This record gives sequence, C-alpha cells and structure tokens, in this order.
Amino acid sequence: MREQQASRTFDVVNTIAILFFVLLCLAPFLHILAISLSSARAIMSGEVSLLPVELNWKAYKQVFTDMSMIRSLGFTVVLTLIFTVLCMLMSIAAAYPLAKTKLKGRKAVMFLIVITMFFSGGIIPEYMLVRNLHLLDSIWALVLPGLISPFYLIILITFFQNIPDSLEESAEMDGSSHIRTLISIIVPLSMPVIATLSLFYAVGRWNGFQDTLMYITSPEMYPLQLKLYQLVQNNMVSELMQAEGATGQSMLQPEGLKAASVMFATVPILLVYPWLQRYFVSGVMLGAVKG
Amino acid sequence: MVKAQRGKMKAQTLLALTLGCTMLLSACSGGNGNNASNGNTNASGSTGGEAASGEQVTLKVEVFDRGNSPAGSTITNNYLTKYVQDNFGTPNNIKVEFVPVPRSEEVQKLNVLMASGSDVPDIVFTYDSGTFYRYAQQGGLTDLSELLDQYGSNLKTFLGDDTLAYGQYEGQQFALPAKRAHLGKYSSFIRQDWLDKLGLPVPQTTDELYTTLKAFKEKDPGQTGGKVIPLGMSLAPAQFEPLLWSFIQPVTEEQRYTLTQQLGSNDYPILLPGFKDGLQFMNKLYNEGLMSTDFSLDEDKKKLNEDAAKGLVGFFSEDDMNPFYPDGLYATLQKNIPDAKLSAVDVYTDSEGKHPKPEYAPVGLYLMIPKSSKNAEAAVKYLDWMASGDNLLAIQNGVEGENYTLENGIPMAKADATDEIKNRIYNWGDMAIISNGKQLGETEKNVESYVVNMPEQFQDETRKALSVSRSDTIKPVLFDRPIEAQAKYGTALRDKLNEIVVKTTMVKPDQFESAYESMIKDYMAAGGQAILDERIKAYEEMKK
Amino acid sequence: MNLAVYLRRYWQLYALLVLPVCYFIVFKYAPMYGILIAFKDFNFFQGINGSEWIGFEAFKEVFAMKDFYKTLRNTLMLNFLDLLVSFPAPLFLAIMLYELKTAWFKKLSQTILYIPHFISWVIIGGIVYQVFGTQSGMINNIITSMGFEAIPFLTDKNDWLITYLAVGVWQSAGWGTIIYLAALTGINRELFEAADVDGAGRLRKIWSITLPSLKPTIVTLLIINLGHMIAIGFDRPFVIGNTAVRDYSDVLSTFVYRIGIESGQYTLATVVGLFQAVVGLVFVLGANYASKKLADQSIM
Repeated sequence: MREQQASRTFDVVNTIAILFFVLLCLAPFLHILAISLSSARAIMSGEVSLLPVELNWKAYKQVFTDMSMIRSLGFTVVLTLIFTVLCMLMSIAAAYPLAKTKLKGRKAVMFLIVITMFFSGGIIPEYMLVRNLHLLDSIWALVLPGLISPFYLIILITFFQNIPDSLEESAEMDGSSHIRTLISIIVPLSMPVIATLSLFYAVGRWNGFQDTLMYITSPEMYPLQLKLYQLVQNNMVSELMQAEGATGQSMLQPEGLKAASVMFATVPILLVYPWLQRYFVSGVMLGAVKG
Repeated sequence: MVKAQRGKMKAQTLLALTLGCTMLLSACSGGNGNNASNGNTNASGSTGGEAASGEQVTLKVEVFDRGNSPAGSTITNNYLTKYVQDNFGTPNNIKVEFVPVPRSEEVQKLNVLMASGSDVPDIVFTYDSGTFYRYAQQGGLTDLSELLDQYGSNLKTFLGDDTLAYGQYEGQQFALPAKRAHLGKYSSFIRQDWLDKLGLPVPQTTDELYTTLKAFKEKDPGQTGGKVIPLGMSLAPAQFEPLLWSFIQPVTEEQRYTLTQQLGSNDYPILLPGFKDGLQFMNKLYNEGLMSTDFSLDEDKKKLNEDAAKGLVGFFSEDDMNPFYPDGLYATLQKNIPDAKLSAVDVYTDSEGKHPKPEYAPVGLYLMIPKSSKNAEAAVKYLDWMASGDNLLAIQNGVEGENYTLENGIPMAKADATDEIKNRIYNWGDMAIISNGKQLGETEKNVESYVVNMPEQFQDETRKALSVSRSDTIKPVLFDRPIEAQAKYGTALRDKLNEIVVKTTMVKPDQFESAYESMIKDYMAAGGQAILDERIKAYEEMKK
Repeated sequence: MNLAVYLRRYWQLYALLVLPVCYFIVFKYAPMYGILIAFKDFNFFQGINGSEWIGFEAFKEVFAMKDFYKTLRNTLMLNFLDLLVSFPAPLFLAIMLYELKTAWFKKLSQTILYIPHFISWVIIGGIVYQVFGTQSGMINNIITSMGFEAIPFLTDKNDWLITYLAVGVWQSAGWGTIIYLAALTGINRELFEAADVDGAGRLRKIWSITLPSLKPTIVTLLIINLGHMIAIGFDRPFVIGNTAVRDYSDVLSTFVYRIGIESGQYTLATVVGLFQAVVGLVFVLGANYASKKLADQSIM
C-alpha cells in the first residue's frame, strides 16, 4: 500500500514538473504566433506577449500568396527527403561493418572518421571542391557534402553494437549473408534509432542555410530557411547596414511578416517528429528476443 | 600475435592508401585553382579584345539579394534588369547578367568568390572599406584610371574628385566609390508636448538638456507611472556618437589626423581630448537614472524604438530621419498617444557653442573590377551609361507619369500607382550602384526629395531633422594611404569601443576613473596604439 | 585464417564500406589542404598554393594575443558548466518522460519539448531580452513588483552565467531526449515486472533498470562531448552575450569571427581552428581511452 502511495506521489510530481517545462517550451512559440497575427502598431509598441493584439491575417495572406515562398517550401521538402534517405543509406552501410569490433582495419577507418570531426579544410577549399565537381547551383551541392555526420554515425554504431550477437550468429548459421542479415534483422530491430537519426538529418537539412549562401545562386533553389534568414537578418543594424543610409531603411520588412514566415517555415518540420514516434515502440520485439 | 600484426599492417596500408588518395585529390583541386587563376591573369592582359570583334559579351554584375523580391519577379529577372538589358545591353551587344550575393553575407561570399578565381562577376562591390583595401593590397583589382578616361567621362563627372579619392590605393584608382547624395548622419528628437506641458523651453545646450531630463524624470509629464526614460540610449552609434562627439574639444589638424581612430568605416574620437568627459557625462546620466537602463543590450535599437513608440522616452538621437517613415516610430507613437509631438532638435553643444556631429564620407558602395575580369571595358561602359542622361533617374524612380511626377525638378512618387507599378523599382537602391540615395544634381534637391516622399504630416519635421544632421558636421579623415593597422584591428577594436562605453557608463561614479584607465589601457594594447603610431607616421609622410 | 578465406567470408562488409570511405576521402579529406592556410600569408588572388609560406608566424601572433587566452578560458568554462548542467538535463527529462503513464500526454509533451530547437538564435535573442531584461524583463517585473531589487541577469557577468545555462537547457534538453528515448525502447519490459515482484520502488527501478540500459548511449555522447570541450558554437554565446558581460561571453568562435572572418584574415582563423582541432582530438582520444579502461566501452 505504501509503495503505491509513493508511486502515485511520484507520478503527480513528475507530471507537474513536465507540464511546467512544456509550458516554458511552448511560450516562445505562442509569442511568435501572436506576433504574426498582431498589428504593426502593437508589435512596435511591444504590447504583444502570448496572445495576438488587434488580430489580423494580413501577414499570412502575404506569405501564402507569395508564389516564391510556396515554391521554396516544395523545394525544401524535396531536398530534405532526398538528403535524409541518402544520409541514412550511407550511415547504415558504414555503421554495420564498423560495429563489428573484430573487423580488420576497422580501427583505421574509425580513426579517419573521427579526425574529420575536428579537422576540416575550411570554407574556401570546400567551395573549390564543390565547384570542381560541377555541383555549384545544383541540389547536389546541398546534399553530397553533408552525407555522413561522424557524430550520428558513431551513435548508430553504438546502437548496432548493443544488438545481441546471438541474433546475428543464428542468422549466419542459417546461411544468411551479411547484407541480408543487415536488411532483415538489424534494420528492423533498430527502427527507433533509425527514425531518430533520420529526424536529426532531416531537421539539420531543413534548418541549415549556411551552405546555400555559398553554393546556390538561382532563386528557384532557395530553401525556406534561406529566405527566412534574409528576412530576419536584413533587419539587423550593423555599421555596414548603417552605411546604406536611407537605401536600407526603405527596404525593411515588417515584424509581423517575419513572424508569419517563421511559422510557415517551422510548422511543417515540427510535424515530422509526432509522425516518427510510431517507430519508438518497436523495441518491444527487441526485448522479447533478448529475454 | 601474427594475426594482430597482419591486422596492424593492413590498417597501415589502408591509411597510407587513403592519405595517398587525399594528396592526389588535393593536388588536383589545388592545381585546378592555380591553373584557373593563371589563365585569368593571362587573359586580363588582352582586355577588351572581344567587344570590338562584334561577338556578344556577357557582363556579370553583382547585385544584393535581400529576399524581398515581389511576386512575379526575381532578383536576377525583374523590371530593372530588363530595363538595363534593353537600354544598355542590347544596343551595345552586351548581355548583362546579374549575380546575386546575399546582403548580410556580402563580404564573406565575395571573399570566397575572389579566392575561387572563377565565377567572379565583372563588377563587384562592398560597403566595407577594409575589404576594398585588402583586395587592392593583394593585387586583385583592375586599375581603372585609363579605362575611366577612355570610356567613363560621364561617370567621372558624376562622381567627382572628392568621391573618387576614396577609391584610390597608393595612387591607383582601384575602386569607383558610389556618390552619396546626403552626408548628414544624426539628428536628435524631443517630446515637444512634454516640454509644453511643463512650460519648459527647448533646451539649447547640453547643460540645459540635463536640466530638462531631470525635469522629465521628476515630473513625469507623460504619466508613465515611473517608467519614464528621459534619455533614450542604445548601443548603436546613432545614440551615443552625437553625445560623445559634442564633448570633443577643438583640435588642430594634426590632432584630428593622428588621434582619430577609424574602426570599420567610421571615425571614432577615442583618443581625442574630451572623450573622457563625454563618458563621464554618460556615467552621470546613467547613475542618476536618466538613461535607458538596458542600453547595453540594445545593439539593434529595437528596445529604444519600442520604448519611444510607447511614449516612455523624452529625448533621443537617431539616424537623421528614421522616426518619420510610414508606420515608423513617430506614426506608431501618435497612434498610441494621439497628442504626442516629436520635434527635431540640435542640442548637444561643445565648448564653442557648436553642435558637432560626424557626417558620412561622400561615398557609398565601393565598386570594383577584379583583375581576373575580361570585360573591364564593358563594365566601365555600363557604369558610365548609368551616369549619363536620364538613366539614373529612371532606375531610381521608374517611369515618369506612372511611377512619379516631377515637381520643381523633384520626383514625387505617385501614391495612387498600383502595386505592380510600384514594385518595378523595389530594389532601385541596389541597382543604382553608382549612387547612394537619389541624385538630382544638387544636395538641396536631394534632401528635399527625401522630405516630399515622407508622410505629409511629418514633412516639416523631416526637413528640420535633415538640416540638423547637416549642420556643424565633422568630416571623416582621409589619408592618402591606407592605415594597415586599422584593417587588421578595426573589427576587434570596434567591439572594445562598445565595451569602453558600456563599462564606464555603468560603473558607480567613484569607480569611473579606474574603469576608464583600465579600459583604455586594454584598448591601446589590443591595437589602438598600433593605429596611433601608424597614423602619426602617415601624417608626417603626407606633410613632407 | 588466411586472407583469401577471410575476404571470402567478409567481403560484403568491406563492400558496404566502399562508398562511405570514398565520401570521407572526397568531401572531407580532399579539401583538407586548406589547413595549409595556417602556415601561409593567405592572399585571396594567389590562392592557397600561390600564397607565401610564413611558417609558424601566425601561430606566434595568435598566441601573443591577450584575447586569445581570455576566449580560450571562457570557452572551457562555459563548456564545463554545460557538461555539468546541460549534458545531464536531457537524460533526466527523458527518464521523466519515460515514466509518464498517459500515452497522449507523453506524446504531446515530447513534441512540444523539442520546439525550442527549431527557433533560430536571432529570435531567441530577442525573446531572452524580453524575459531577462533588467528594466522591463518579465522576470524582473515580477521580482520588483514583490518589492525586491531587480537582478541584472544579462549585464552582471555572474548572473549572466545562470542565464546562459538556463537558455541552453531550455533550448536543447527536449531535443536531446530524443536519442535517449530511442535507446529506452530497447528495455525489456519483463525486467520491470520482475522488479515489481521483488517489491522495488519507482526510483529503485529507474536506478537499476532504466539507467543501465542508457549507459552505452550516455558514454558515447560523453566521449564526443569531451572531444568538443574546446569547440563552441557561435550563436549561443553571441546572441545571449552582450558587451557588458564580454569578460565571460567572448569565446573562441566569436574571437575567430572577429579577427579572422570579419577582418578577412583567414590565416589567423585557420590557426585557431587548427589549434582547436588538435586539442579536440587529444581530448577525444583521451576520453576514449579512459572509457575503455573504466567502462569497457569505446567509440574506436
């Protein structure tokens, strides 16, 4: 009885604590949403906190009638999909052999990979490489250079290593080849981590824009985050901007439009995780096998 | 044991193999880069050969991309790009191609383009004088003196010698600086309705301002409930520069040249006599609660604008006419407090009773033609075309009768034009690269054109603010040679300057002295001394 | 086993590695000649090959700068505090989420908790200012209305550290839980049932079942984190930091940005980068070695 009492207290405290943190995380999002729906006057006077003031949809009308935003959304979705699929294929292909501690040459390869976590050629040689491969101003310039993140690869290796060897051994006894074992046993058992890393790669690509600043010149291939960055960043006042004088001033974008664009660019990717959560229960099977 | 040995050997072979591949690859890519730049150097020797032969030339021109293209047009394909092609390109058998560069990353992208040796546009530009000097010093730019004489007579007249001087590096014309239409930088603004309410006159000097600020604080004429901010301050130059410069004592020409410190594109009075008094005055205002408490956090003026729009701020200085834009600060303030009245005033006073404040250098963008460009001739022709006839007028204002009407020689934007027509010239400021601001032949007209395009009820105050911004101004110091220490330490020292301002302002008054001493010492050690030494030397050599 | 037999048996594993290894060689190793910039007086127009060799001149220059040591110290300090506070935070949060019984509430809170990761730092900066500001920040409005003195969360350097950590936890904890939650799916539910039979309490079960199952993930993340003790992102210290607390908020990344990128001195930027890389590699190898000895687990 006492145990149950304690357990219930634990649940209550735990739920309240999480609820508190959830509200903290939700507040800024609501704030941006509120700004996107408020009047310019209210925004500029700093009156908007969590609820819209002088509610209006003007900013959203502007975003949704801007064909370049819609096109950019489409491009970003395609880019993110291609990127994520290729990244996962490459990462899984690399992680499986590297998870086998007895594989000859593994250490050398791991060392080569770990080095790239710290050493890089820098922006100029990387630009030259992309140019020499004739990838400039193409979608592949945004896909190929980032295909494998050493960090995510190491995580994947760790997860693969925790799959009991007995499973693979029994498959091998049945005459299954390595690649077949990977596809039919390892991958299905690793769906939670595969879903997680897919999310990481997808979000990284969705939110990344630094490379597009360098590699892309055609406006048709501007991802959403780049457009967003331009909107937000162009309003920054630095001394170089000050040098523009009136030229720059007359080109400022209203805050409401910025906020609406932020929502437009953020909500689609936010929906990915709830959808991926379905893969987070498959561990039941793993547990069953383990037992 | 043997097995382990073999494993190790294999690992080593693999490593060696990989490194080998790497070296090979890097040698290839490195070699390519080198070949490309060699090729370019050779080609630049025969500048302009092609244009004469009747073959179409492709001229690549950089354009800032701010992501603000209206529906139906892109930054590389819009009304103005077509206008350029139809009126300049096609008649001269030149295909004009625009290369977008993100506005906020201009320097970085330009650096990479330059380093890559290819894909560099024929006309590139930057607002950053340091970048221009760097390119010139490293030998990457075309000397334009001859080309300008040959193909750029209109351009030369338009820019004038004062402006062109800023584009020279060791006697060679490596850049064509755009001409600035209006040099005024800062003005100040006071809540006239607060003064009226308290029966106070407009303050005429810094001392009177202090009294007024105290009165604002004590009597709270705006009934803000104790939230009043008598002096609106931020960490942007527009707010602290006018105050600090007004404390600078009269100086000789030599002092002005040697003691001024140019950080980035602006001159700062850190070593000039009186700077410390200015900081002390800020310290006093801060500690007496007369100034924005969180000014040190407000680098983008957002908080200041918000406070002023809410009607909490009594007095502040700003970029010349910033508060008057449609839906801007003043418009919002009046929506919040219908009786609010903002007046442009000139208050900060120096020991001679003048109102000194810095003005802009007479330049905007630095236009450059990379040495690797094969189309230097076409590039100069393009800029010359822009400077001739009514072309600049058309790029800046659109079509007469549709976009604007001319009144007393000043183009007035037609308020009733459709969005489609208005959007034609949405990026005129970035396309009219030879000018910063509208050029109508004389400064008075240029300034007036700003005034008439402001909302009608603010026009008088705008006119006043613009005239304040142009009175008693201090011109930037221009040496006949670049100061290398400034290029090297400028950015770091600019941050240090902010630190000096913030720390000396926010300490308790009795700690001011020691804070000032240690901050200045730190500043001098981090490059301030190097700049000072180099400026003294450069001044001596200039006077020889 | 001789090589032929070995290869016949394992060739598929090597085949799988071919493309990834090529990727690393082409996209990571090929551009690495850029490191040479650290030893050259880099000229944009001569390129890396054409620029003049200067040996260790640039290293000497950097190591003579006072700001270098200040930013190095701050980087290590902020990262160490992060390791104490921000590193365990997602772990706790993940366990708390795992213990939630209501399925829909669990899903919903997971989804909301990771939102801050998607808000760009520029925007977070504005919000931080509104929340933590001294004059009219939300927290200080509450504090002053209760009759206490306002706390300079952003302008006093010691208070600022709290702000920096709090914002870091807020921004990254929810996102960090995802990987732990993935690991937690691997737990055998039968273990809990067995523990129930033994009469173990909730905390007891967390301690002896949940945590051990997360150990491999924790160790891997810890090793990688230690490797990055000397590296620090640009945005967070830059956006949350400000002039008044520069004594603490100025870190290597902002230092490099200022002296290297903004001033076009790529040589100096590369020198600092190379220094960070070497130290980082030493750290990660050390951490890897220690973990192999102590926890019998390593990433290499």
